[in-house]
Amino acid sequence: MDGGKFLGAFRAASGIRDALVLNHVPVGCHWGAGLLKSFSLQNDIRQACTAMHENEIVFGGESSLKKALLSAKSHHNSPIIIVLSGDVPSIIGDDCEAAVQSTGLGKEAVIINAPGFKGSMRDGYEDALLSLSPLMNEKEQIKRSVNLIGVCPDDFKADADIKEIKRLLSNAEITVNSVISNCSYEEFTRAPAAELNLVLGQGVGLAEHMKEVFGIPYLEMDYPYGLQGTMEFLEKICESLDVAYSTEALDLEPYKKIYVHLNGLYGSSVSVIGDFHARPLAQFLAGELGFDIEVLSSFEEDSFEKDVMNSNTTMLFGSSFELGIAIEMEVPLIRFVYPVFDLVSISDAPFAGTCGTKFLTENIVNSALGFSSDYLRYRKA
Amino acid sequence: MSEYNHLFGRDCKLSGSVYAVSEIKGALSLIHGPAGCAFHQRLTPGRLYEPIYRLASTNITERDVIYGSEETLREQIKNTYKRYHPSLIVILPTCVSALIGDDIHGICQDIKSQVPCDLIYVDSEGFSNRNRESADDLMQEAAKSWIKPQPNACEVRGCGQEEVVKALIDQLMEEKDIIENSVNLEIFGRYRGCFERCLKEIQKIFTDIGISVNTTILGCTVDDIKRAPSAQLNIIMRDRMAAARMEEKFGTEYFRKRPNHYGIQGTERFFLEVASALSLEGEAESVLKFETKRTLEKIAEIKNTLKNNIFAVSASGFLINPYLTKVLKNDLGANIKYFVVNTQSLRNMNASDETLKIMLENMEKLIEEWELGFEFIINPRLETMRMISKKVDYILSDRPLPDNHAADIGAKVINLSPISHLLFLTSFKGYVDIGRFLVMKTQNRTSIKRSYPIISRFRYNPIDYPLIQDDSCVASCEMWSEIWRHRRDERSSQ
Repeated sequence: MDGGKFLGAFRAASGIRDALVLNHVPVGCHWGAGLLKSFSLQNDIRQACTAMHENEIVFGGESSLKKALLSAKSHHNSPIIIVLSGDVPSIIGDDCEAAVQSTGLGKEAVIINAPGFKGSMRDGYEDALLSLSPLMNEKEQIKRSVNLIGVCPDDFKADADIKEIKRLLSNAEITVNSVISNCSYEEFTRAPAAELNLVLGQGVGLAEHMKEVFGIPYLEMDYPYGLQGTMEFLEKICESLDVAYSTEALDLEPYKKIYVHLNGLYGSSVSVIGDFHARPLAQFLAGELGFDIEVLSSFEEDSFEKDVMNSNTTMLFGSSFELGIAIEMEVPLIRFVYPVFDLVSISDAPFAGTCGTKFLTENIVNSALGFSSDYLRYRKA
Repeated sequence: MSEYNHLFGRDCKLSGSVYAVSEIKGALSLIHGPAGCAFHQRLTPGRLYEPIYRLASTNITERDVIYGSEETLREQIKNTYKRYHPSLIVILPTCVSALIGDDIHGICQDIKSQVPCDLIYVDSEGFSNRNRESADDLMQEAAKSWIKPQPNACEVRGCGQEEVVKALIDQLMEEKDIIENSVNLEIFGRYRGCFERCLKEIQKIFTDIGISVNTTILGCTVDDIKRAPSAQLNIIMRDRMAAARMEEKFGTEYFRKRPNHYGIQGTERFFLEVASALSLEGEAESVLKFETKRTLEKIAEIKNTLKNNIFAVSASGFLINPYLTKVLKNDLGANIKYFVVNTQSLRNMNASDETLKIMLENMEKLIEEWELGFEFIINPRLETMRMISKKVDYILSDRPLPDNHAADIGAKVINLSPISHLLFLTSFKGYVDIGRFLVMKTQNRTSIKRSYPIISRFRYNPIDYPLIQDDSCVASCEMWSEIWRHRRDERSSQ
């Protein structure tokens, strides 16, 4: 099941870490977007809502939006307010632009139209980044610098993965200029200083726009899972930046310690569902751990449950929402993709990069060893 | 997490409906709206840690918005049955499907014969969420009912759960012959730990009296709901409008649990009054005498322990109910010296000055009338709390306080929220468990003390615990509170 355009836009907007995101929606849409974020970022609440109700359906929601903007102005000191207009204002035809202009905010404001019925979560993310792109300013280029585009703050392992990617790039003396969508307003505005944009699965629209406007080339990259995936990731970037690349010496010692387990798991049937993270993860699982991928599916497809139930899957990779199928099938679930709400990640234990490969492998082996179908049966009951 | 998120917003009416449907064994929600609605509604606040994995959605798109989504709905009803084989499909419209004006009633009638399961629809569109004034109205009615039972005057439309029950009455229940001395029990919480235990206790006592439980609504099967009208009496804990509707349609009278049914004597009174409504007083008296005696015997030792400590009760949430404090003092023998009420969190919930005035006045009146003998303090300053903490052994609080708050006031705090659900049960055993919990908390079972807990190293907002003292978090909380207050002002001025 896909989260829809509004949620995608919310994730892009809240990826500017000091922005206030004002959701012009009824209470439920605001609740859902905020709830999913708050499982892993409990000290980062920067969203507000106009709480549209029947009154707004009849008389329009512009007055409520104005009141909320004034309230935001007096309570929040964020440098920018991003108004996300959802399904209801889109249908009743609110003029959000006029409401914002007549309020006199005295600070930057961006309006993003994101009715949920108008597209997928990915569409919402892409369109929102394009709506935010006018905030960017021409900057002097910083040599050997890149922007990472496509990482959201509420992605599982986002912070740890970014840290690991930065570490790997720094080995080749490449710096990360801005991480979109996990940066401050100021960092977002100076994104055009990068020499190269790296699109990690989503945000290609913004990269294309930056290429046209600022002349910054971009690479569409697979999320760097696995030893092989990480190596290819780095090679591609270094080649593009014309940087000499020397492979990080692979430390196979940790894997040697559990080689019997890895042999035991070799050839296991697994299934993977997710967003753009799913395919590169499946490549690692098949290519390096030797799993057989029974079903590989995206959230936008509806047939995953049926396909998996009809497969020989012994381990499932997905979001927390896949626990239902895992319970049904009595197999372990490895959560790797948004939304993850029944696990937290606060340590420097990434899934991306060479370090991430270790943690991911550890996670997989532990899930297999510690798996208790009794527990799942209990939950099923 | 649900309580925390309520500092910054409210959940959708749809989530109440999704939760209510999940209580019915064999029922499945079909959300008629964009994919995003169904995506997050699987995490309904009623069972946040037990998400609803099986949920169908029509995933309507822009095309549906322009041309209407009735065909999409028809198709998805059939697909939902094919995929999940439920006994009942509950169609839940959203803001979008309501705004585009789909004829859901017509589709239901039309397609009923084509799917081999029951089919109903519920008014669940999010923009008609619970009325902005309703929290205040409900609180005010509750405060008045402490003194005198209130008529069903206030508007409770919009929580989503009540709408589901009303839809079941109107569209699913069937006329049946009455089974003498049988009752329906309104009971939510199939996914909560104490549900089965509480239900078993009620059923056992009813059986001993000679009352049979016809069905438990909503924690029952679809067939159970259909035959609900065969009960002689409905026993309700909250859903009065639905009970009134059932009385109107099927003639089923109802009995409502009231504030004076809390506590051991209150629980006894509850069973006696239900029995009386069925003319079974004689049978009930001996059963209840035995149950009460057995409970009091179990509690005697607890009382002996608790009387040796001096307590203050600090209430900002569920304990703002004089009957519940009476339980602590009279039933469990807690030696309470101060009853401290903080009204800020009620204000954040949209409580008006008038409501707070009625609440506090009625509370004071009852404390005096019941001769509870503790001092009643409203919105104390920090110095007052420090003074109180010096004069008591423990502060019983209905919200968890990290140790730096407790250290500020110099008190040992016992957090009652883990056992709050027991206070609201209709269960003799529940009160024994509360007593045991307090005894356990007042006895040092190990010598390991808390040194410097990690959560005590954060600064918290003094009003909205557990809100961290972070500019953005506090601003978001204040802004939500203001937006919500604006709504009240808007209606008042209309």
